[in-house]
Amino acid sequence: MSGPIGILIALIVMTIVLVAVFLVRPSITAGTAGKMLAFIALCALPALCIGAGMFTHMQRSEQTKFCISCHAMENYGKSLYVDDPKYLPAQHFQNHRVPPDMACYACHADYTIYGPLKDKLAGVTRIYMQYISKPPAHITIPGGFNNHQCLRCHGGARDFEANPVHQALMDTLISNQMSCISSGCHDTVHNASEVSTLKMWRPVQ
Amino acid sequence: MKLSEIGMHRFLRIAGVLIILGLLVEIVSLLRVHPLMFVLFTLVGVSLIGSGILVYLVSLVLAVIPPVEKKG
Repeated sequence: MSGPIGILIALIVMTIVLVAVFLVRPSITAGTAGKMLAFIALCALPALCIGAGMFTHMQRSEQTKFCISCHAMENYGKSLYVDDPKYLPAQHFQNHRVPPDMACYACHADYTIYGPLKDKLAGVTRIYMQYISKPPAHITIPGGFNNHQCLRCHGGARDFEANPVHQALMDTLISNQMSCISSGCHDTVHNASEVSTLKMWRPVQ
Repeated sequence: MKLSEIGMHRFLRIAGVLIILGLLVEIVSLLRVHPLMFVLFTLVGVSLIGSGILVYLVSLVLAVIPPVEKKG
C-alpha cells in the first residue's frame, strides 16, 4: 500500500478519527471552533474522500487487470499474448503500441469528455451480467467498434496516411462508414473462442 | 441544554455513524482491483457517506430554524 492509495487511506483514517470524536462527544459543536471543525469532519473531508475515491476507482477501472478479472473476459486477456502478428490486439499489446497496463481501455473507450463515465455506467450492466444474470456466449460492442479508437493514434501518422488503401478509403474510415476491422482489412481481432488452441508469446520479464 | 441541541446531537451521531461506515467500505474497496470493488464503492460507500453528509446538513438547517411557539 504505497503512493496515492496510501495517502488516500491515510486521509480516510484521519477522517474516521475526526468523525469518531463528534460521535463520542457531539457537545463539542456548542462553540464556534467546534462548529467549524464539525463542518470539516462531517462534510468537507468525507466529500473529499468521495472525490478522491471516485478518481482512484475510475483510474483503476482503466487497468487491463481490472477488465480481465471477469471470467467472461479471461480469453480476451489471453488473446493479448497470441504469438501471431495478424492478431491486432496482441500486436498492439506486445509491441507497446498501447500502454500494456491500460491495453483494453486504450482501444475500447470513447475519449469524449463524458466518455469514461458513460463507459463505466455501461460497464455496470456487464457486472450485472457477470454476477446476476449470464454473460452472452459471444460478446459484442454496443454500436460496433468505432474507427475513432484507431484514428485517435493512427490518424495523421505518416505510415498510415501513406498507405494507398488507407488513402483510397480515408473518407469512409473517418466517417465510420467502413470499419477498420472489416473483413479483408484488419479483421483478425481477439478470436476469444480460439485462443486456447493458439501458440502464446511468453514475455521474458 | 436545549431540546434542539439534543436533537442536533442525535443527528450528528447518525451522520457520524453513516460516514464512518461509508469510509470503512471505501477502505475495503481500495484493497483489490476488481469490478465488484468499484460497485461496492459507488453503490454502498458513496451512498453511506453521502447520506451522512446529508444528515449533517439537515441538522444544520434544523439548528437555525426557531421552534414553533404554541398559541392560546
